[in-house]
This record gives sequence, C-alpha cells and structure tokens, in this order.
Amino acid sequence: MFRHNALRYAVLVVLLAAALFQAFTAEYFGLEILTEILILAILVLALDIVAGFGGMVSLCHGALMGVGAYAYALLSAKAGIAPPLAMAGAVALTGVTAWAIGAICSRSHGIYFIMATLAFGQMAYSYVFEALVFGGDDGLGGIARLDLGLFGIDLNDSRSFALFCLAALGAVYGAAVLILRSGLGRSLSGVMHNEQRMRALGLTVWRVKADVFGLSGMIAGLAGALAAQHIMYISPGLLSWTVSGEALVVVILGGLGTLVGPLVGAAAFVVLKHELSGLTSYWHLVVGVILIAVVMSRANGIFGWIEARWGDRIERRVADATRKPEPEEATSDA
Amino acid sequence: MLELNAISSGYGETQVLYGLSLVAQPGRVLAILGRNGAGKSTTLKTIMGLLPLKSGDIVFDGNPIATRAFDVARSGIAYVPETRDIFPSLSVRENLEIVAKRFGGPRPDWTMDRVLELFPRLGERLDNGGTQLSGGEQQMLAIARALLMNPRLLILDEPTEGLAPIIVKLIHDKLQELKRDGLSMIIVEQNFGFATALADDVAVVGKGQVVWTGSAAEIRADEDAQHTWLGV
Repeated sequence: MFRHNALRYAVLVVLLAAALFQAFTAEYFGLEILTEILILAILVLALDIVAGFGGMVSLCHGALMGVGAYAYALLSAKAGIAPPLAMAGAVALTGVTAWAIGAICSRSHGIYFIMATLAFGQMAYSYVFEALVFGGDDGLGGIARLDLGLFGIDLNDSRSFALFCLAALGAVYGAAVLILRSGLGRSLSGVMHNEQRMRALGLTVWRVKADVFGLSGMIAGLAGALAAQHIMYISPGLLSWTVSGEALVVVILGGLGTLVGPLVGAAAFVVLKHELSGLTSYWHLVVGVILIAVVMSRANGIFGWIEARWGDRIERRVADATRKPEPEEATSDA
Repeated sequence: MLELNAISSGYGETQVLYGLSLVAQPGRVLAILGRNGAGKSTTLKTIMGLLPLKSGDIVFDGNPIATRAFDVARSGIAYVPETRDIFPSLSVRENLEIVAKRFGGPRPDWTMDRVLELFPRLGERLDNGGTQLSGGEQQMLAIARALLMNPRLLILDEPTEGLAPIIVKLIHDKLQELKRDGLSMIIVEQNFGFATALADDVAVVGKGQVVWTGSAAEIRADEDAQHTWLGV
C-alpha cells in the first residue's frame, strides 16, 4: 500500500516550490510548458494508480483522456452546458467508460490486458476520427475555459490557468493517496500480489479492478477536460495510442508505483522534449536512450534512483531529528 | 458437512486425483495424510475452486459446492494455504482488515479483538509489514485472517511446515482451542504426530485416491498402514 516517507515529502515540496516559482516568474512560453507538465502529471498519476499499484498496464489512458476532452468540448461548446457542469459531466462520463473497459479487461492479464486496452483505445480513436459529430480529422475548436470571474480569477490568463491546473493536480494527488489507502486500495494491493489468494478470501477480483480503473479513468478524464481548455482545440490525435505509450514512458521514467515518481517523470519528460526538440528533430531517439538507461539501471525510474541513494540517509536523519531526547539519568546523591 | 464423491482433478493436462472420495463430519477434525505428490494439496485446492473439478461432485452442507473460489469462500469455507500468502506490502493490521471488513456482518463470531486474543503476538506486530514477520508469525496471521472470514469449515494446508518446534506446539494448542470451540477442520499435514494428535478422523491419500480411512487412534495403532502408505 502507498505510504509517504521523508524523501517523498521532500521531493513533493521541491516540485511544488519549483512549480510555484515558475508560475509566478515565467513568461507566456514558460507558463505554457508548466501547464503542459501539470496536465501530463494528472494523466500519469491516473496511469500509475492502475499500472503501479494494480499491475494493470493500460494502453488506453490516452483515449480516456481524449474521451474527457471531447466530452467537455461537446457538452460545453455544442450542448451549451455551463463549463463547470460540462467538466463534471466529462469526468463522470470518462469514469463510466473506464469502469466498463476495466470490467471487460480485468479477466485478462499481462500482455493480453495490454492488448485489450490498446484495442479499446484504438476503437475510440478510429470512431472519433471518422464521426462528423466529433469534427472528424479536423477536430473541434472554440472550446471555452471555466469562468471563475466570480472569484476574481480570469482563466484566460496563462498564469491563472497554470495555477488552476496546479491546484487540480494537488487535489488529484490527494485523491490518489486516499484511494490507495482506502479498503479498495488495500484490496488492489492484494490483487496485484496474489489474485488467486484474494479470490479464496472471498473477494470479487474483477470488481476491484473495474472500480479502480473507473476512478483512474475519472482522473484521466479531468486531464482531458483541462487539456481541451488549455489548447482550446482538440483533435483525434489526443486519443492515439502514442499518447498512452508516452504516458507509460513517463511513469516508467519517473518511477512506477510511487505516485511521486510520475510527477518527476512528467517534469523531466516535457522539459527534455522542449529542450531537445530545439536542438534536433530526432529528440525521441535521445529520450529512448535515456529510457533504456533508466530501465537497464534496475532502479525504479528517476525517483527510484534517488530513493535508492538517499532514501535511507534521509529517513535516518529525520528519525534522529524527531527522536525524543533520552531523559537524563537522575544523579543520585544518596 | 463436506463430501467429496469420486472427484478427479489436476493441473492442466496432468491429472492428479482419480475418483477420490472422502467425508468430513461437522465439529470434527479430519486429517488428510499421504506421501509427497499423493494429491493432498490438490484435493484442498479443488475443494476451494482453485483447480477445476473434472469429474465427480463436492457437496457442502447438503448443496453442491460453488465452482468459483470467491463463492466457495463466501459459502463458509476458509483456506490457509501452504504458502500462507501474506500480502507483503500491507501491514499485519491491513492484512486482517482486508478480510474483517468483508466478512464482518452485524454480529460476527470472529472479530479483530478475538483473533488478537487468540494470537497476542500479532497484536504486538500490528503495524509491521508482511515481509517483516517470522514464519511462525506469518502462519498465525494466515490462520487469523482465515478465522475473520467466520468460517464453518477451516482448511489448513501444511500449517507446521518450516516452523520451529516451539511454534509448532503453539499452533497445535491454538488449533486444539478452535477444535474445542466446535470448529470443523480439514488439515493436510506431513507431521504425523501433529496431525494425529489433533485429528479425530484420518484419510490417507495415495496416487490420487483415498487408500485408508479410520480414526486417528486407529492409524496410530496400525503400523502396517503407516509403513505402507506414509513411510513412517
């Protein structure tokens, strides 16, 4: 089950400080990169819950993000529903879709689970690509952002929108921790370690997997609704399996099954992408080499590497600092 | 309470049980004995729905037993496997709660407090992770977790395997306590002394069939059967 430790708190504080610093000091381009990182971080948290804590490696989370994005766009722009309700509707719809996919795929394992989720993702991509209601290949534009004018916040301002995404990421992180620490999260942990044993303990394994997949889908849907508002335009490419693959790369690069690692991975991936793409159009090759190095190092991603080197040292220091001083021995003058 | 009528089962293409039949009576302890590879653990896994029943039938409390493991568990049969299967990423408390919350009901026979009273050692280790427990503690946790399912029948596979003699005695005393409380049990065990001291009835399995049945006192007295079927 997921537990925080001193190192995880330390990395979270560093990430939060860096995000706030960037949000308050960066210009337009820097804020766009920050927002891209934050939305990707929400998506990879969703993926880490199912892949890292449930052993369900999904190749349809890109499509789930796309479902969230298209649902928000259609509900707000086409159906004329108020953006906050459209956003809630998009998250709920993606959750239901993910629950159904999880319920069907939960009976398969390993490579078959991956292929089943890939098939669902590609079906969604093909449908959106062809259907006129979704704008086909041209996609949909004119997507409005939430109106927080009531609170004096203009989300059309890049800085405000980046801070809004940061707040959403914080809420999602908290929700992910709560899910993993709940009875459902414990059951998921049991299922990942020994599915047959959980069945013999009277647990409906498929239901646990489907419920967690549904909750993870809701988070992916939120990432999609935010992505649609960020770019204000969406296209079928958002549902492509390459988006799911990229999310999986980010989770592995950061540290599978750690929650904190994927946040590190999202930041590293987006920064690398922007820095390297300015130097060479073959930046994917460089990212590929880095990913191979991370996998071959046997560390659990960048965060796993940090944890292996400094985790124990930091834990010891925190334990020393928080240990109550021994009461001084009474000096007997008898 | 539980009847196995001419059951056949195995792993994939490999058949292990060939028409095995036995009966476990309510309120009594049945020991299933036999040499390695005789089919003892396969029998338990087939009862639990963890291996497919190829032929024959299993009746529990007058009804055909469920075929899916979680239905079998919910029908009132708890199983402590040979491997104990403690969840390593969960603490002792979480390993217990994962079951207690599912089988608690309004007035359960077995509660967290009661299993911790039975195994006080677990109470001292509640926040320790599954991997930080000794073999004996893991066995106590596995039995406690099974009891929290409030079973009418408790099935144990090799409960003393790999345990120190002092822990074997402790497990024996606890199982005797459960027997005195009237809990029906089926136990598969290589330790002849342990099994026959605990059991009322004995079924010896050889080559996938029951080759001897009788009381524990009878097999203790039957040196021929011990030599022929158990190599004692």
